[in-house]
This record gives sequence, C-alpha cells and structure tokens, in this order.
Amino acid sequence: MVPGSNVPLSVATAGLLEVAEDAIITVDVERNIVLFNRGAEKIFGYQRGEVVGKKLEILLPERFRLAHVQQVRNFAEGPTIARLMGERRNVYGLRKDGTEFPADVSISKMHVQDTLYLTAIVRDVSERYRAEQAIRQLNAELEQRVIERTAALAETNRQLLLKSQENETFVYSVSHDLRSPLVNLEGFSKELRLTAEELRELLSDPSVPASIRSQAERLITVDMFESLGFIEAAVARLGRIIDALLRLSRLGRVEYHWQWVDVHDLVTRIVSALQASLSQKSAEVRIITDLPQAWGDPTALEQVFGNLIGNAVKYLEPSRAGLVEIGYQPAQGTSPGAYFVRDNGMGIAGNHLPQLFRAFQRLHPQVAEGEGMGLAIVHRIVERHGGKIWVDSQLGVGTTFYVSLPPPPENERGVR
Amino acid sequence: MNTERLLILLAEDDDGHASLIRRNLKRAGVINDVIRVNDGQEALDYLNNLRRQTTAEAHVPLLMLLDINMPRVSGLEVLRDVKADPRTSLIPVIMLTTTDDPREVHRCYEAGCSVYLTKPVQYEQFVEAIKRLGLFLEIIKAPTASVGQVLPE
Repeated sequence: MVPGSNVPLSVATAGLLEVAEDAIITVDVERNIVLFNRGAEKIFGYQRGEVVGKKLEILLPERFRLAHVQQVRNFAEGPTIARLMGERRNVYGLRKDGTEFPADVSISKMHVQDTLYLTAIVRDVSERYRAEQAIRQLNAELEQRVIERTAALAETNRQLLLKSQENETFVYSVSHDLRSPLVNLEGFSKELRLTAEELRELLSDPSVPASIRSQAERLITVDMFESLGFIEAAVARLGRIIDALLRLSRLGRVEYHWQWVDVHDLVTRIVSALQASLSQKSAEVRIITDLPQAWGDPTALEQVFGNLIGNAVKYLEPSRAGLVEIGYQPAQGTSPGAYFVRDNGMGIAGNHLPQLFRAFQRLHPQVAEGEGMGLAIVHRIVERHGGKIWVDSQLGVGTTFYVSLPPPPENERGVR
Repeated sequence: MNTERLLILLAEDDDGHASLIRRNLKRAGVINDVIRVNDGQEALDYLNNLRRQTTAEAHVPLLMLLDINMPRVSGLEVLRDVKADPRTSLIPVIMLTTTDDPREVHRCYEAGCSVYLTKPVQYEQFVEAIKRLGLFLEIIKAPTASVGQVLPE
C-alpha cells in the first residue's frame, strides 16, 4: 500500500512507469523483453506488442550486439546491483526506422519471486549531443580563426620588420654615399684656406705695392674667408644631418640587451646630470612619483628619457619659472600605465603634433640647435620596445609626453 | 722590416680624396713615393706583380692606404688578401673610410688592419698613425719652415 492511501504500491509504480519520459525496459536473464513503457515506445518507435518477447538486441545497432550479450551476462552474474552504462564510451540506441540515437543508459537488477530481471532506463540525448557537437565545432572554428589571425599578424609583423630593415639599409647606404662628396667639400675648403694663407704670406713681400697688398688682403680676408665660412658651415651642417641619419638607421640594427631597468634610478641620474644647466635657466626638474621598473634595453631607455627631459628643459618658456615633472601614471580603464614628462614650456601647436615624431622636424629652430632627430629616435626606440608614445600639449601652456612600455614576454616574467 | 726605400700604395677611387691624402701626407712630412691605384682590383694586380718578384723570406717594403668603398674589389677584400699571404702579411695597412660605423671598424681590425682613419684625414692623424706604426718612413722630422707657417690652426 502507498502510505496514507489505499492504492497498492504495484499499481502506483505502474502508473509512474507510464508517465516517465525515459524508456524503461525490463528483460529476463535471457534478454527477452518483458516490459516496455510508453516512454520506450516514443523513443524507439515500436509498439509494446511488437517487442515484448523479442531479444533486447533489436534495440541496439548491429555493431554493439555481440559485446552486449556478454556485458548483460556479466552484469547479471556479477555482484553490482545497478550501474550507469557507457561510462567509458558513448552508447547508442536503434529505432524501429533504423536510425540511431545517442543514449544515456542505466541498468539495475531485481528479483521477483526468485526470478532475476534486468531493467534498463534509456534516455535519448540527441539534443544534448547536438548541442555539445555544436560547441565543439564552434570551439574548433574559433581556434582555427585564432591560428589564422595569429599567422596573419605574424606575417604583417614580418613584412613591417622587413620594410623597416630595408629602409634602414637604404638610409645607411645613402648616408654612406653622401659622405664621399662631403669629404671633398670639407677637405678642399680647408685646402683653400691654407692656400689663402700662403697667398697672404706672398703679399707680405716688400716688393708688393702697398695698394695692391691692401686690396688683395681685403679680397682674401673679407670675401674669400666669408665664402669659405659659409661653405664650411653648410658642410658641417650636412655632416651632422648625415650623422643623425646614420644614427637613426643604426637604431634598428643595434642589438638590445633585454632586462629589468630601474627607471627611477636612470631618471635620477639624468636629472642630476642636468642640474648645472638648470641653475642658469631658473628651472626645476622634479621626479614626482615613484617610477616603476621597465623591461627593456637600458641604453635605449636612457636615450628615451634623456631626450624627453632634455627637450622639456630646452623648450621652457623663458618668461616664467620653468618646471619639469617626471612621474608614472598607473593604468586607468583602457589606457595603459605610462611614464610622463610634463613641462610648463612653450607648448606645441595642434597642427604641428602629427609631424612631431618624424625625422628632421624642428618646431623651434630659433630656440636651440639640433637636427630634429631626437623625437624620431625616441619614437623608434619605444616602437622597438613594443610600447607607445603620445603627447598632450597646449601652445603657450606646456607639454606632456607619455611613454608606456609593455610587460616582458611570458617566459621572462619572474626574472625580476 | 726591410730598410730599402719604402713605397706607399694608395688605393682610392675618388680623385679628390686621393689629392687630399697626398697633400696631407706631404704636410705630415712624408716624402716617400706614393703610387696611386684607382680601385681594389688594381691594388691586387700591383700586389701580385710584387709577389712574383719576392721570395718567401723577403717582405715587400710597402705601406698600404686602402679606401674601403671602391668599385670592383673593396678595400676590405684587398686587406684580407694581403694578410692571407706570408709574403705580404707584414705590410702595414691603413684603412681609410668615410664612416666611423663601429661594425666596419671592427671588421677592419679583425681582418688585421694596422690603423683605421676616418676621412677627411688631417696631416696630424697621419703623423700619429706613422708614429704608432714605427715605420722607417722618410719623414722630415720637423715640418719645413713654410709648412709650419701655413698650418696655424
């Protein structure tokens, strides 16, 4: 009896069998089907009358049948009361129409009046299976896409590297070739100067009439030496430009010694080296936050900070007390952590910003000497470190340069 | 080294550079004969000719000034050829170039050059180089009066 009611338990369980969504199939030890519930009819497509009395194997795909007979015997004779089938592999069912479906199967033993029966509960898991397949497929596709994108990126990278190497080789050979005529210009201007001195010597001879001597003297010292002065200045300038070009081309070829760099220490050294020139300018350079270590080449990073700080000092506004502040701004949202060099100097007009990092750009040629290579070099170095450099500036107010440097590659972490 | 009259072999493709070098050698007080060839190949031809007249024991009395960037055969190739042959390996070689690229300097010293000079070469540099080489050059020790006066700098 079901407790609290007058319904016999067997009747109640029979009702349960009928409402179950799963297939519930009972066989005797010879695997003859004795019970086939409504769920089983729905899943396998057989009417109860078609299968009762038949062997259980008709519900299995051909390829599993032989092994199955043995498995059922082992289970029937073994000590286990119930277990889930297919723990080690997928189990399939065979419908009346010949189609197969993936299934979860659990099996249990029961004795009814000394007769052993085996009951299998079978659930069609096609849906779950399809979903899993879809996820697997999606994963595989994603993986494939990641592989493809990575390969594409690597290729782009290689192309860029090749291009920049080509550029650097080109710049190198051009500057080499430019030097040869420059040597002649430089050497022969010097020769001319020497010849002029010899001429003057000749003129000092007492046999030269005084009027000719003074005229010739003027031609040599005024006209000739002025012309020579211009040639020499131009040659020197051209020489510096070629040197700068060579330096830039060398940047891409020089080998980096990657390591953790103590930026705070490095900047402190740069600042103290600047002190002498600062006192004349009534300017102050301060490190306002702790500067974290960076992964990179110490020499190259020294060039970066030396250049940025040097520029900040060079282009201070003479009409007010100069202030240069160096600090580190931690990552915020999508913007990475960055070192900054902030000044209250002349500032840069917005329309000049795009050319800022190009070679030979000089925005304040009247203020300081230079070839306009500094920021191009800084940019190239930061780029080779895989980092970013950007600038905020307002004309007449000041400029802030930001440099963000990426963490070291995975295999270098922990070297710290 | 042989004390018989030392020759200077100058390999230089640029006429202007060659003229400047001659002038500055003269200013440095060097009065040895300078034979100029126009490129590395001509320098090799000259060397091979000398080798034919030289026994293995005798060393060629020569000082070489080699420009690096030359058509056909570069100065560096000539340097290597000189150093590879025992009859010429003791010849002092001064390399002349327009760049102080550290890699090029390194390559030259590696190949056995004695001195590396960057153009335009001033006479003071030649004096210094010749001193370092300890050569039996026919140098007029003190610059002549006229030379001394025209080099005030």
